[in-house]
Amino acid sequence: MRLGFNFTLGDTYDMAQRLIAEGHIDYCEFLIDNFFCVDPDELAKAFDCPVGLHIMYSKFLEADRPTLVDFAARLRDYIDALNPIYVSDHILRFSHEGRAFFHLGEIDYAAEYESVRDKVVQWQEIVGQRIHFENYPSIMDGGLEAPAFFERLMKETGAGVLFDASNAVCAHRNCGTPFEAWRNVIAKAQHFHVAGYRQSLIEPFISLDTHAEALAPDTLAFLRNFRSVFDKPGATMTYERDDQIEFDDIVVDLKALRDLFGQPEETRHDLALTA
Amino acid sequence: MTLLSLPSRTDRDLYPALMSPQLNAKYPADHKAFVRIDVSLRIYWHTLFDICPELLELSGPDGMSIFRPFMAWAEEKKLAFDWSYYLWVYVWLRQSPFKERLLADDKYLRSIMAASAARWAILDRGRSRGIVIGCADTADLVIGWKCRNVRLGREIELIEPEEPLPAPSDLFGYFTLPSFELDIFPGWQSLAR
Repeated sequence: MRLGFNFTLGDTYDMAQRLIAEGHIDYCEFLIDNFFCVDPDELAKAFDCPVGLHIMYSKFLEADRPTLVDFAARLRDYIDALNPIYVSDHILRFSHEGRAFFHLGEIDYAAEYESVRDKVVQWQEIVGQRIHFENYPSIMDGGLEAPAFFERLMKETGAGVLFDASNAVCAHRNCGTPFEAWRNVIAKAQHFHVAGYRQSLIEPFISLDTHAEALAPDTLAFLRNFRSVFDKPGATMTYERDDQIEFDDIVVDLKALRDLFGQPEETRHDLALTA
Repeated sequence: MTLLSLPSRTDRDLYPALMSPQLNAKYPADHKAFVRIDVSLRIYWHTLFDICPELLELSGPDGMSIFRPFMAWAEEKKLAFDWSYYLWVYVWLRQSPFKERLLADDKYLRSIMAASAARWAILDRGRSRGIVIGCADTADLVIGWKCRNVRLGREIELIEPEEPLPAPSDLFGYFTLPSFELDIFPGWQSLAR
């Protein structure tokens, strides 16, 4: 299992370099659309390691085709320049009746499957690339349907799943989605996310995917129990931290992941070749 | 847990309430749906007051005398809550009981214009590099620049032009910049709702 770190903006550049230099991570994941005004060749030289490209704001379920074509054209410049290990995106809602959510919404997996599937097919065709779609940290009980949704989506569209382990932990805690229900998805996924979560401030408590805390014991237990399903040749796991960014705390979590998965067998160079 | 008559199986069932304190109040406080909506509403709150903490001087520490009526007004006006979120808060404040105190110190306006410029630089995925925001209440301009270098974040600039631009016809106006230079004035665009 290769370990990576999410690089979202320049203020963590020096820390990401140090994580690479000290061998705590094997690759970096760019939140790529944050860098659409940075020259692709400059970005390609930013880190001496392979990269993944994670898309935040394509809004491919809501945007019109000309907007997506323009977004994809810019994304393509970075794919060509950076030769990423993977390209990933999100299946979620950014707005309702033209009004933006500040805490993004989960889709209705049963009612929206066909339309989402068609948009996934269209989005991959526009980008010209297989895309790995991230699962949501479900709160409401509709999240019980997420594993079957992603399994079917992979089968019918050729898309991958960027399986976020801590999102699955939140879903388990919030709506009881069994870890076992994700087994086939995890088995087919090559790329993973993991992060800390916290509880809501009021009861009945729900777990929120915050990327600001240490990895929780149940997240590490989930990884341990499904270790052989997660780990496979070419697999990557990005540790996400977007707040409370302290180098030593991050290293503690990365070491826990190294202890769990062991040192990767492939070198950074091999990883780049798997792209 | 109280039985709930409103649909709440999926997140989608709650979409209309995720930005509505009034609709949240219709859900029993001991139900998960209430908490999920509360989580969403808190982010609108924090997005406003964490970035513009000066506004708490007007409202008091919980911010609710601004937040609740603004959100109700925004719902009525169907505001999109895009990058101009903060500017609409100013529009509301200007017609609220806070108007006099708001206009007595330009720190509120500067903070609000900077917050909206930063939000544009964070969220916009178009090809423009920067945004210039102007206001009829000041000759100063605020510019938000997207990330231009792998070592940098977004940048916000306050400009006090020697020769002021014409005031926007509405309270606020903006234009975007195709390069990392402020070398054009194509005229003001009005805020979209």
